[in-house]
Amino acid sequence: MDKESNKNNENKINRKDFIKSAVLVGAGVTVAIGSVGISSFKDAPKSKDEPKNLPEFTTIPEDENSDILIRMQRELKEAMKKPIHERKWGMIINTKKCVGCHACTISCIAENKLPPGVVYRPVIEVQSGEFPNVQLQYFPRPCMQCEEPPCVDVCPVEATWKREDGITTIDYDKCIGCRYCITACPYGARTSDFGHFYTDNTPEIQPYEKLSNHEYGKEWNRENHGSPIGNARKCNYCVHRLDEGELPACVTTCIGRANYFGDLNDPNSLVSEMSRKTNQIKLLEDKGTKPTTSYLI
Amino acid sequence: MKDLINIKKVDKLYLGLWLILLIAGLVGLVMKFSTGEKLAGYGSYVPWGLWVALYFHFVGIAGGVAITGIMGYILNIGKFRNRLFQVGFISFACLITGLFSIWIDLGKPFRFSSVFLSPNYGSMLTFNSWMYVTFMAVFGFAMYLYYKKSDKSTLKDKSGWLFPFLIFALMIAFALPSQSGAFFGVIDAKAFWNSALLPVLFLISGIVSGGAMLLLVFSIIYKDEYAENKETFKYLRNIVSVGILIYLFAEIAEFSIVLWSTNSHSAEAIEQILFGPYWWMFFIVHLGGAILALVLLNNKITSKSIQLGALVVVVTFIATRLNILIPGQTISNLKGLKEAFYDPRLTFTYHATLNEYLVASFIVAFAIFAIYFGLQIGKKLTSKN
Repeated sequence: MDKESNKNNENKINRKDFIKSAVLVGAGVTVAIGSVGISSFKDAPKSKDEPKNLPEFTTIPEDENSDILIRMQRELKEAMKKPIHERKWGMIINTKKCVGCHACTISCIAENKLPPGVVYRPVIEVQSGEFPNVQLQYFPRPCMQCEEPPCVDVCPVEATWKREDGITTIDYDKCIGCRYCITACPYGARTSDFGHFYTDNTPEIQPYEKLSNHEYGKEWNRENHGSPIGNARKCNYCVHRLDEGELPACVTTCIGRANYFGDLNDPNSLVSEMSRKTNQIKLLEDKGTKPTTSYLI
Repeated sequence: MKDLINIKKVDKLYLGLWLILLIAGLVGLVMKFSTGEKLAGYGSYVPWGLWVALYFHFVGIAGGVAITGIMGYILNIGKFRNRLFQVGFISFACLITGLFSIWIDLGKPFRFSSVFLSPNYGSMLTFNSWMYVTFMAVFGFAMYLYYKKSDKSTLKDKSGWLFPFLIFALMIAFALPSQSGAFFGVIDAKAFWNSALLPVLFLISGIVSGGAMLLLVFSIIYKDEYAENKETFKYLRNIVSVGILIYLFAEIAEFSIVLWSTNSHSAEAIEQILFGPYWWMFFIVHLGGAILALVLLNNKITSKSIQLGALVVVVTFIATRLNILIPGQTISNLKGLKEAFYDPRLTFTYHATLNEYLVASFIVAFAIFAIYFGLQIGKKLTSKN
């Protein structure tokens, strides 16, 4: 009996020990946060048009050998300090670095919780030559964020428009689902959400499919046929991530670091640097859409 | 309502067929509203299918009915001066049916009012929507002036506004099918659609199918007047027959020019029409239907052959819409896009599903009811006069 009660006492957490542990953990977390040097939100913006002061990870070193993500992340935060009309987002994809792993496609699906039939960034495989002298090239195809977007002009209800920073957006609350914009896009970059779930025709729609996505910085839940079901959908350079100082999901997950993303209005940014390369192409230039997304070949 | 629709007079066989269409259609509608767009066959690369084709077909018919009817009224052909209500209500019935078809097709159908409340006037779809409302208002007002007029045989009314309003309605009626062509024509992304010929083709097709609709309805409801009313039928027969020939001529011109060129962007779409999976839609439904209609409307004419010929045109001329709508969408600008990501909704092919056919059946039943109902109102208004 005594032995048993001693055992129970051993298993019980002593109040003093618990408080000690809690203090230690709390102090540890505080020191850890302090050590990575997150700046505080002193000047939290009052509206989305105002410049943002986002936290910076000052202790991560950046030199010429650093991962390009570090540089792009820093440049992104600098760009976010500017008012929206002073920045212009652009993406350049280096096809020589793309290995066709489709990680960007998958990360985009995960980030935006895309249902079956909706894809923002498929990777197009282009094969040249004949076996055995074959060359493969991969062209990930996000939204081209055209300067002259044909999808905007055809929308009957002004549910889609071009933001001042160059991103073409959709208001899911306004879109009537006529799909005119889908036919107008020469790149096939818009897809319609027909309301499918991956676990359709199974005993239960799985909880992960019922989670909301946060496109355009708003919570969208597809349960009960809510928007974006019935709406046109497209890549928006992960604008909800940009607003929080994060690079688009496809950029961060690219294992070949084939994506250059940033502010084209900043001449010193990596993306601007790449945009001055001569081996650059834009898709379907003859359509006159003036894409912002381009490729290095 | 009871005295408007006298079912006893309607042939029981036709009523039975209509009921089958209606019941099948209601089943389709319930399926559609309970599952959204899950059962539809269109996808994101071919986003428009059968319902959109029906929309353009019925809008074309509405315009065609108004064009042939108002022209007949102004030129005082046959008994058109006494039948403006009938012309107007058939046209409205077809227009409302077309609008119902596109409403069903919307991903968010209950937001349709946004087209009027927060419109983008640069969109051809907005322009079209406003034009439909304007058409009904103008032609409706012309019909009101006609109703108030005591002498139906004269062109003008006491107020002097009937003729100008009819001319205005006629102009908009010409615009309805033409705008449908422009709706596609302004899409630079689709080489096959981006053609100035498209509004012309849609206009001719609208006049042909609208004239045929008027011929069909008149040959059914005024079959007893066939002998004394030959002028009306001859006028409509001629419009339909000549229209078919002009349409075929325009089609040959377009196809031959595109196929002659070695690197035309539209060649692939035209090859789809002629030799693709829907070759029968062009050769059997469209071409076969056109030839059959020409024979029925011009050889050993009887009231039955006119009815059948007109019916063939009304039904088969939807092929002219489908043959523009579907092939235009099945060609990708980016080769390899289809293979880049697999999903049944991301293919460049289209096959209408059972649900789409069932809903289409409701749309047709709705059109028949709307036309019949419209005619009964027209009859009432005529007898009141």
